[in-house]
Amino acid sequence: DKYGHKPLANKIRVQLPEPTLTDNASDWARLSVELKRNLPYEKNIEIPLSVLRDLPEILRQANWDVSLTLTDLDDKYTITRIEPGNEQPPYGLAIDIGTTTVVVYLVNLKTGAIEDKQGTYNKQAKFGDDVISRIVYAVETPDSMQEIHQAVIDTINELTDKLLARQNLIQADLTAAVVAANTTMTQLFLGINPRYLRLEPYIPTVSLTPSVPARELGLHILPEALVHSYPSVASYVGGDIVSGALITDMANKEEVTLFIDIGTNGEIVLGNQDWLVSCACSAGPCFEGGGINFGMRAMSGAIERVEIDPETLDVNLTVVGRILPVGICGSGLVDCLAKMRKAGIIDRAGNFQLERSSYSARLRQTPDDKEFVLAWAHQAGGDKDIVITENDVKNLIRAKGAIYAGIRSLLQMVAMDIDLIDRIDIAGGFGNYLNVPDSVQIGLLPDLPAEKYEFIGNSSVKGACLALLSQKAWREAADLARKITYVELSIGTTFMDEFVSALFLPHTDLSLFPTVEG
Amino acid sequence: MGLTGLEIYKQLPKKNCGECGTPTCLAFAMALAAGKGALETCPYVTDEARENLASASAPPIKAIKFGNESVLGDETVLFRHDKTFYHPTTLLIKVSDKLTDSEIEAKVQEIEGLEFDRVGLHYSIDGIAVVNESSDQDRFSQVVEKVASATSRSLMVLSENPDALKAAVPGIASRKPLIGPATFENYEAVVNFAKEQKVPVILKADGLDALNELVESAQKLGYKEFVLDPGSRSTSQTLANLTHLRRLAIKKKYRPFGYPVIAFTGKNEPLDEIAEASVYVAKYASAIVLKTSIKAHILPLMALRQNLYTDPQKPIQVEPTLHVIGDVNENSPVYVTTNFSLTYYSVEGEVESSKIPSYILPIDTDGTSVLTAYAAGKFEPEKIADALAASGVAEKVNHRNLIIPGAVAVISGKLQEKSSWKVVVGPRESSGIISFVRTMQG
Repeated sequence: DKYGHKPLANKIRVQLPEPTLTDNASDWARLSVELKRNLPYEKNIEIPLSVLRDLPEILRQANWDVSLTLTDLDDKYTITRIEPGNEQPPYGLAIDIGTTTVVVYLVNLKTGAIEDKQGTYNKQAKFGDDVISRIVYAVETPDSMQEIHQAVIDTINELTDKLLARQNLIQADLTAAVVAANTTMTQLFLGINPRYLRLEPYIPTVSLTPSVPARELGLHILPEALVHSYPSVASYVGGDIVSGALITDMANKEEVTLFIDIGTNGEIVLGNQDWLVSCACSAGPCFEGGGINFGMRAMSGAIERVEIDPETLDVNLTVVGRILPVGICGSGLVDCLAKMRKAGIIDRAGNFQLERSSYSARLRQTPDDKEFVLAWAHQAGGDKDIVITENDVKNLIRAKGAIYAGIRSLLQMVAMDIDLIDRIDIAGGFGNYLNVPDSVQIGLLPDLPAEKYEFIGNSSVKGACLALLSQKAWREAADLARKITYVELSIGTTFMDEFVSALFLPHTDLSLFPTVEG
Repeated sequence: MGLTGLEIYKQLPKKNCGECGTPTCLAFAMALAAGKGALETCPYVTDEARENLASASAPPIKAIKFGNESVLGDETVLFRHDKTFYHPTTLLIKVSDKLTDSEIEAKVQEIEGLEFDRVGLHYSIDGIAVVNESSDQDRFSQVVEKVASATSRSLMVLSENPDALKAAVPGIASRKPLIGPATFENYEAVVNFAKEQKVPVILKADGLDALNELVESAQKLGYKEFVLDPGSRSTSQTLANLTHLRRLAIKKKYRPFGYPVIAFTGKNEPLDEIAEASVYVAKYASAIVLKTSIKAHILPLMALRQNLYTDPQKPIQVEPTLHVIGDVNENSPVYVTTNFSLTYYSVEGEVESSKIPSYILPIDTDGTSVLTAYAAGKFEPEKIADALAASGVAEKVNHRNLIIPGAVAVISGKLQEKSSWKVVVGPRESSGIISFVRTMQG
């Protein structure tokens, strides 16, 4: 609301006077004179050759009553579509390219309503699960770059086609698109060589990415429509985070906000209207189920809550979809860690206390590792016991340690106490399922009152919608990206000291967690 | 204490133009706070802000330069782990003008030989302090001239007699010697002379109260190129003085003590003298004048100086050389990992508990973990193959099996090609090493 409704593309209907022998201006002159009379601002109006080619026929077929789609950006209007006069609204796409999943929202640019959504796995996954292996793949041969670029375009097109079919629209009705993605995804989406993103000193090719006509990318939308990519801050703090930070509105408030995307990259932004700092603490894929024996995404069959009887070590599970469990998702893992510690199955360093195995057969030693059985094979959807191993626990501790150390490092950078944080906004798919008291118990999140926390879900796609509908928001995104200071955690010893101190449940310094019982 | 990044940031133009070479104003402010930037690189800073920041960020201890690139002072912390110590202690060897010409020649020759190469680093002595002990002004000038012509190192010229200094210094003033000492008795003459010659001067008084008074009097002469000598010659008293001076300068911003401090050793037995000097190197002496010039005495002191003035802001790492675990033989397995200490010790711990004597080769990845190093292109097959060849492990074992971390299985093909060792992909987690190596051997 504060940004007002002024979408990146809009539609205007004009009735032109018919040409006569005395009024013999060209079609385009006739059109632009009439347009200028109808448009609120004095700006240049441009028409691409491709649109001009069809102009004479359309004007005459429509009996000089036409609807024009315009992109309205900075100092000029560009006509992207001419059609016979109708009142059908223009549409746009808000696209969130996640490393793993891609989400597309169909937005009515006239009303601002989200008409439909689609999501699927990123087709780039076959070239690697994470951004690093995709960068490695992309620079192998010139063909592999094209291949990996095309994979994400195909993913988006597939979703777009579905949305068009469901809503009975055609490609030309989609007149603008905004993409929010991490820096690697943005460069691969635009087909920009990503090689140096991962090499010291980690330099992206471009921060303020240019807007390009959809034709250049082969997206299934109006070929002249402009595709806007959110600007990024650094190699590992990208447009998805700028988009999320815009949604939190942290850059316009006096209060200090901590914005965390709890995901593989673990991006964090801290600040207020005066200053903003960010970092990426590389938590790893644990909380999305990666790197954990029975880890999985939060979907049907995932254990999302765990209760452990401290006496008998009996287990009570809550499973998404109330079906037999097949694995454990991020929130279940956080819960599991907190409850295993409470039941004395692990010590503060995550070491398994095997002497407790006399209480329960659930705690056992295998040739490879120590493990705790969450669900026996006969109670599980598969044919194997669902277990959590000592390695899983250590992985989780490293992941939660990285997030907390990232928060502490940013605070140190600006010489601020944790208590001065007024608000914590948590984003990421995982955020939907996160239990704050559990997270504090294990030392993933700072020990602050629960009312300071808020889940904001997929803030990346929300920010893309916002920009699509407001030129003001889009301009602010560029300012925001320029304002955020990226802190390189690999310099100096701060992060490493903080990380090592956080490899403990909840932390080496217990005074940081006053509400966690000893 | 200096200003924090945020405090500096408030005074900056907040344009985020990037013209200073950092992407944002806050990043620039944080660099300034860390003493890594210069305000001049910002073209838009207002004169008002420049004035505020210049006075507030003035160094607590003045930098005094003399001789052949010797820098004293300009330090900001009491403990090196708080940031770092910047300017290694300047070490000078005393040469008395009571020595005969041939003794002086021998001494200077010995001093000139104090150059060491050790673990890839070069150490050298910084300079010579010529001391007027003969009470013969002409002899002093002769010796100063003689020493100056025999060395290109930094020079210190010490006499309590202003006339002796006035005779000896002008000939070498272009080499910017450190002169002194100025005391209560002679300070007007000596400080004014130093000012005229544009050379720094040592202020010497007994104890901190007297030194304070002397500095304030000397400052009134309109000169500020000072090095302080609190007069003590016993280890404990000097240690106390050095500590007080550094604390007052940094913690209290007490300007009269905002100058570097020089220490003179008191012990005559060389081994005691080196132990004494070690204390001063560790505890804030910006320069030390030593009597001994024997190589075996000086080397450990220089190694200590090197260690203490190393920037501690580096990741925790182990030496990237071949590590031997247990009583190895020609069949011992060879593991490769990174030199990040957490990573290395996880591997070492498991290898030890496997009870199979082994070699571990940590690759220099700037102290990053296996996956972090792989992600940043620091754990590449070429690099590992080179390190393997350089380690000499090929001569120590009669097999050619190299065990790599399971998480980087993807590099195995290329590594095998580059190293011509058979690359065996180990477990993803080091905890799997025990069962892995037993299966392999069994």
